[in-house]
Amino acid sequence: MEELKKGGIFTISDMQNVRINIGEIVEEEEEWEPMGPHPMPRIATLRDWDFKLLNRYKPFYAPVCDMCCLCTYGKCDLTGNKKGACGIRMDAQQARIVLLACLVGCSAHCGHGRHLLHDMINKFGRDVPIDFGPKVDIEAPLTRLVCGIKPKTIGDYDRVFSYVEEQIVQLADALHTGQEGSYMDFESKALHMGMLDSLNKEAADIIQIACYGMPSGFPGDGPDVPFVDVGIGTIDTNKAVIIVIGHNVPPSADIGVFLTENDLEDKVELGGICCTSIDTTRVYKKAKIVSALGRQLRVLRAGIADVVVIDEQCIRADVLELCQRTQSPMIATNDKAMHGLVDRTDDDPDKIVDDLVSGRVPGVIILEPDQVGEVAVRTALQMDKKRRSLKFILSDDEFKYYVNDCILCGGCTLACPNGLRIGEANKSAVAGNIKPLADLFDICVGCGRCEQVCKKHIPIVDVMTKAAYPQLKEEKGRMRIGRGPIWDSEIREVGAPLVLGTIPGIIAPIGCGNYPNGTKDAWLIVKEFAERNYIVTLTGCMAIDCALWKDEEGKTIYEAHHGRFDAGGVLNIGSCVSNAHIHDAAIKVASIFAGRPLRGNYEEIADYILSRVGACGVAWGAMSQKAASIATGFNRLGVPAVVGPHGTKYRRAFMSRPDIKEDWKLIDATDGSEVYVEPGPQDLLVACETVEEALPMMAKLCIRPSDTDRGRSIKLTHYIDLSQKYLSTYPPDWHLFVRTASDLPIATRNELLKKLEDEQDWKIDWKKKKIEEGPIRGYNPSFNPTNLERLIRRKK
Amino acid sequence: MGIEIPFDVATIAGPEAGDVAPPEVIGSYISSASRPLLAVGSEMLRDDFFVEIAIEIGKKGIPIAATGHSMKGFVEKGYTENVYYYNLHELTNCLRDPNWKGLDGAGNYDFVIFYGIIYYYASQMLSCLKNFATDPLMRTVSIDRYYHPNARMSFTNIMTRMEEEYKDMLRKLVESIKG
Ligand code: SF4
Ligand code: SF4
Ligand code: SF4
Repeated sequence: MEELKKGGIFTISDMQNVRINIGEIVEEEEEWEPMGPHPMPRIATLRDWDFKLLNRYKPFYAPVCDMCCLCTYGKCDLTGNKKGACGIRMDAQQARIVLLACLVGCSAHCGHGRHLLHDMINKFGRDVPIDFGPKVDIEAPLTRLVCGIKPKTIGDYDRVFSYVEEQIVQLADALHTGQEGSYMDFESKALHMGMLDSLNKEAADIIQIACYGMPSGFPGDGPDVPFVDVGIGTIDTNKAVIIVIGHNVPPSADIGVFLTENDLEDKVELGGICCTSIDTTRVYKKAKIVSALGRQLRVLRAGIADVVVIDEQCIRADVLELCQRTQSPMIATNDKAMHGLVDRTDDDPDKIVDDLVSGRVPGVIILEPDQVGEVAVRTALQMDKKRRSLKFILSDDEFKYYVNDCILCGGCTLACPNGLRIGEANKSAVAGNIKPLADLFDICVGCGRCEQVCKKHIPIVDVMTKAAYPQLKEEKGRMRIGRGPIWDSEIREVGAPLVLGTIPGIIAPIGCGNYPNGTKDAWLIVKEFAERNYIVTLTGCMAIDCALWKDEEGKTIYEAHHGRFDAGGVLNIGSCVSNAHIHDAAIKVASIFAGRPLRGNYEEIADYILSRVGACGVAWGAMSQKAASIATGFNRLGVPAVVGPHGTKYRRAFMSRPDIKEDWKLIDATDGSEVYVEPGPQDLLVACETVEEALPMMAKLCIRPSDTDRGRSIKLTHYIDLSQKYLSTYPPDWHLFVRTASDLPIATRNELLKKLEDEQDWKIDWKKKKIEEGPIRGYNPSFNPTNLERLIRRKK
Repeated sequence: MGIEIPFDVATIAGPEAGDVAPPEVIGSYISSASRPLLAVGSEMLRDDFFVEIAIEIGKKGIPIAATGHSMKGFVEKGYTENVYYYNLHELTNCLRDPNWKGLDGAGNYDFVIFYGIIYYYASQMLSCLKNFATDPLMRTVSIDRYYHPNARMSFTNIMTRMEEEYKDMLRKLVESIKG
């Protein structure tokens, strides 16, 4: 019997602990799947799940600042976990800042998605069907999972965004002084925000795929998408060059349309920086990817752009100043980044072009995407002629002058986020060796902080660029264009090997380029795991940066590997919003392979993924607030993430304690028995100092309690091997993951059994080659791990 | 000593900033610890000399947590006696818990020496200990070529051209740690 309570909440007496909230549900025309327990969850709906995660992966805080200055009671000194005047403790204050970062990140994706939806409805109407072809039946796993909605047209996303927007406002409210006081509850809210963020990303990508016909599940899509050029060296500067920067593709798409319709494709280069470039190549096949975010300053300084078009997110705040320096007119196309320019939307294109080309104005705003193409292209063609004689790379004499002028004061090093020793490199250059300076180019994250403090006014970034210029001109990579969704058919093929562990895991390099030691690490991560038959799914700047490097045969990592969602695949999924398809792949494993219901059933699916889907994200250069909300969204879904050392500045991590046995108690859903398990995955968010340390860490974080013995032996092989290769040692905790002798790789089984006997005092029956005593638990092939009591099938 | 600028100038956390101190002072501070730990990072690998310094500290009976990929350096030198690989983030997560059993099972430490670790990573971990490992108090020092305001005591910033002076400081430090 159902019992109706206040606010549209009712409980069903036969289903223990199931609560259905119908407050937000709008009737569906078609009953495609029974509604699960948590459609459109509110702040408190999934709090129990969050607390399960937070009790095992206890929030860890490393404040960047020991004070709070958010209200006029303060500034308050919170050092040593003191309380501020409002009563908030340092730990809760850190969690509050984390929630704030996730709020900003989530709002960016939501704002972007909503903006895109408005533009697309204006252009194509509400009824653009969401049909991703014969290979993709579950078109929107997150939308189905979180909202309980199966979207049929882009208009259906109105409801999705309304839900997210309301939740964002409620969560932002919690940040006010005198609201939340518990760090655990702040973190639960951050996890909620992260989940909403994943939904935004899926919505945005689905809308653009549907409207622009980006690759999805039709023949020629998926693993067979075409390749695209990557790198500064691929831009033909004999043509007029337009550089687009940001994340919102419609203005850039319009440039592509204008070029095609006016037969100008061979006269104008359309290149981009950051995610707009990735998405532009999904709609205009002749577009090129100039660079990821980390090179933005240097690409602009190099002056290759005859016009710069910006849309939203990850654009330098001084972009206009940079454009003026190289006489590149700028067009701002989004009301979130207007840079003090005059809005010329709906103005006569002739007049706008004339103003830009004559230099009367440094830039304009055009908020209607379909008006951007004509103005950008016509301006670029005219500016190309005007700017042809200009040179922005330092001359040899200028270079010599500047490196000679350096007084080795070290000011730049103190200002540099990576602590680069620029003065010493200048000194080498004076002595005739420019290699140290050229080598700094890739490690530099292109922030420009050094130049502002140099007492000698040395344009340090230009000096480095000059030293690296010979290599830079040759920087010519290749990558597949963003393929969008993983096909249902692919999930059917790999679902079993992934859950059983014989495909050792999904590695997802995502996000920004704030690397500790340059772009090559991005390449190394992909190479190591793809060669070990993991599935590597990339999005955003890491997808771009890893394409800059080549193997001995001159192949980029994309050329050396297939693009299928299968062992050894290297897949460019697309831009940052496309990384929702990585969540989606994990969700589809639960749904398609394991038959778990999707609709409004977030908690059960996340529980499934946490215990069974060996996936690990890596945001090696995570920088933005979006990266914070993205990682937090992955974490709520049960997917761990590794960040580079800069990631510790997000303040919070989620790490478990394998030495605390009680934290590792799971339930066997088959009979309700409690089982103490090995720590898999050990952490949900952890930083590594170097890529050498990150590689074995990622292999470890793919281990799951559900692994079969064969799967576990494969995962252990890689964990041990990567550790020996990069750390010259056995991992100190490898024994924790051994349940039975058959968990050990056959080739080294005897040796490993001996180590277990000698170093861990385990009892081994050498005749039978069996472990008699030692492991945390034995191997039970029918173990059905869960954290949720309500999923117990039959109590013992 | 005067006010020192953090190695990454913006790393000013708040009113509590550690002291810049010479090697002898840091050495005797370390000697006052009852259970000290040396946490070493990958920057140590930039020169053999720095690995040898870590080993000398290890030989004084101070256990070593080899973080990042610094373990390589110890293995190459054949010194693994009291060296344990540990991820620094996970290590700090344990250090903040007074009930942690330590690398050898004998309990948590009361003093951590940070050495050879990327500046901002070390700074964040020191911040965690400064703010949350207060009862009982976990004392921290940095012996890197950076001023670390989040450590209770630290060397000053040392430019590359002063490398020999830095090496001398480390030698003096080792001498002044009582084994
Ligand atoms: S919000 Fe609280 S901690 Fe922050 S300044 Fe105000 S009173 Fe102080
Ligand atoms: S521009 Fe490069 S060298 Fe200069 S401070 Fe930024 S990262 Fe360091
Ligand atoms: S701040 Fe300028 S003068 Fe000083 S070391 Fe750096 S480049 Fe040379």
